[in-house]
Amino acid sequence: MWSKGGTNRKSPGGASSSRGARFSLRKSSVVFGSTVALDSVDLEIGSGEAVGFVGLSGAGKTTLLCLLNGTVRPTGGTVQVDGRDLATLSFEELRKVRAGIGFVHQDLSLIPNLRVLHNVLAGRLGKLSFWGGVRAFLFPQRRYVHQIYEILERVGIPEKIYERTDRLSGGQRQRVAIARALFQQPEGLLADEPVSSVDPARARSAVSLLTEISREQGLTLCVSLHNLHLAREFFPRLVGLRAGRIVFDRATEQVGEDEFQALYDLNGV
Amino acid sequence: MTRSWGMAFLHRGLGVRRTLILAILAGGIWAFVQLDLKPADLVPTSGGMRVAWAFFSRALSPAIVYEAEFVPSDTPPLLWKALQAAGTTVVFASAAMSLALIWGLLLGFLASTSWWVGDPAGGAGPVTVFVRRSIAPIVYGSTRVLIAFMRSIHELIWAVLFLAAFGLSHLSAAIAIAIPFGGTLAKIFSEMIDEAPRDVAYAFRGSGASATQVYLFGLLPRALPDMIAYSFYRFECALRSSTILGFFGYPTLGFYIAASFENLHYGEVWTYLYTLLALVILVDWWSGALRKRFVA
Repeated sequence: MWSKGGTNRKSPGGASSSRGARFSLRKSSVVFGSTVALDSVDLEIGSGEAVGFVGLSGAGKTTLLCLLNGTVRPTGGTVQVDGRDLATLSFEELRKVRAGIGFVHQDLSLIPNLRVLHNVLAGRLGKLSFWGGVRAFLFPQRRYVHQIYEILERVGIPEKIYERTDRLSGGQRQRVAIARALFQQPEGLLADEPVSSVDPARARSAVSLLTEISREQGLTLCVSLHNLHLAREFFPRLVGLRAGRIVFDRATEQVGEDEFQALYDLNGV
Repeated sequence: MTRSWGMAFLHRGLGVRRTLILAILAGGIWAFVQLDLKPADLVPTSGGMRVAWAFFSRALSPAIVYEAEFVPSDTPPLLWKALQAAGTTVVFASAAMSLALIWGLLLGFLASTSWWVGDPAGGAGPVTVFVRRSIAPIVYGSTRVLIAFMRSIHELIWAVLFLAAFGLSHLSAAIAIAIPFGGTLAKIFSEMIDEAPRDVAYAFRGSGASATQVYLFGLLPRALPDMIAYSFYRFECALRSSTILGFFGYPTLGFYIAASFENLHYGEVWTYLYTLLALVILVDWWSGALRKRFVA
């Protein structure tokens, strides 16, 4: 239904054999104080889908992503990941769900004075015990170092593994953040405005990298973007957000120009 | 309407600041008046003038050999003794700082709020909520009081206490310095950790890390360069404190400074003071070199 010709997307609710996470929002609202960030949102994202969230800043894209990995709780409605309602989970179970979802933050959230190796290693913390984490940080196991090298190779910066993260360029740092999310061995990958921290050429390659890797590994991918060109180029399905509401949710080629215009109309926000 | 409210707001902002500056000035003047401080007090008595002159005139000619007329034959040369005393000073300071660092890290952890602040989404089991709401504030509060107590008593007073209790043991000197230093380190460490940017901590929570993991791997590394730099500064302070403990009879630089001063051998005093200066400069250079590797 959502699949775009030529890309091997599975339709929502489709084959459960796929590795990718399934997300389901029912009438989900998020209210911060007197600000309504999301207003009764319904959304189904199937295993292995690639979805772009588009809209102006402040439309609720980031809040929507945070709902999906359980770092923001809905003030109304429910959020389900792989069919489990996050509100009913114990804290430990919620940790497990979060450990299965990689998140590439807009500000990257890397520790500047640590080496790339350690920043990527931190992605695995959610799946390790306290002492397991201490051991991995102080005396990284060979197999972890090898895995991290392979991931860094995939994102194109293997030679930086022992470099201090603050010595890298903006584009390289973004690749470290992506590598950290991948080292989580996630089933879902979320990325918040991966284009805002780098120049346009690198932005394109970052989005292309995210979609390629997700396709290779069968991950469900949700990316928020205000760059409409990139969104249309790389995502078979787009969700348009405006003032906390979903204004369209369909296959990219079926979204009309007037709808995009209305989405980005600065008047009447 | 809005505009006049806005102007009032602007002026009030300035007014607070002006009042604060005036109050600080007035406080300073009041303290001077209260203590009856006047520049005339800086004119020394004639006797005092002689001592001061005798002392400061040796600043450019520190002693190379002993100034005493009779020196026992088995006494090591003055410069060698100064070096030995400097070595002992470093050993005492290192012992004290090792203890202080352990206490500082432990108490600093308990006195920071970061390890028990909640999850961004507020999700937590009943046990976690109980610990966070009831136990954590008690631990935090009592640790803060303990730290304040450790800091408020100067190392010299601790030293006097321990000398009375345990005699002139090396451990009592190390502990006397370690207690107030441990308290200061704990206070500063906890503040540095609490002030470390939280973006990474938030990201780690989102990838399923536990609260203690977030503290250890998300917050501590961000504060570490500052903590190391501050520890070096405290090591320098520990060198001075360990020197001063020599006045109680420990074989650090202070012991020889006091002895030479009493015998009016000012040249020797300067020799020891310059040794201390060299020590402090050495530590400064070392910490600077390390900081370049850690921070830059």
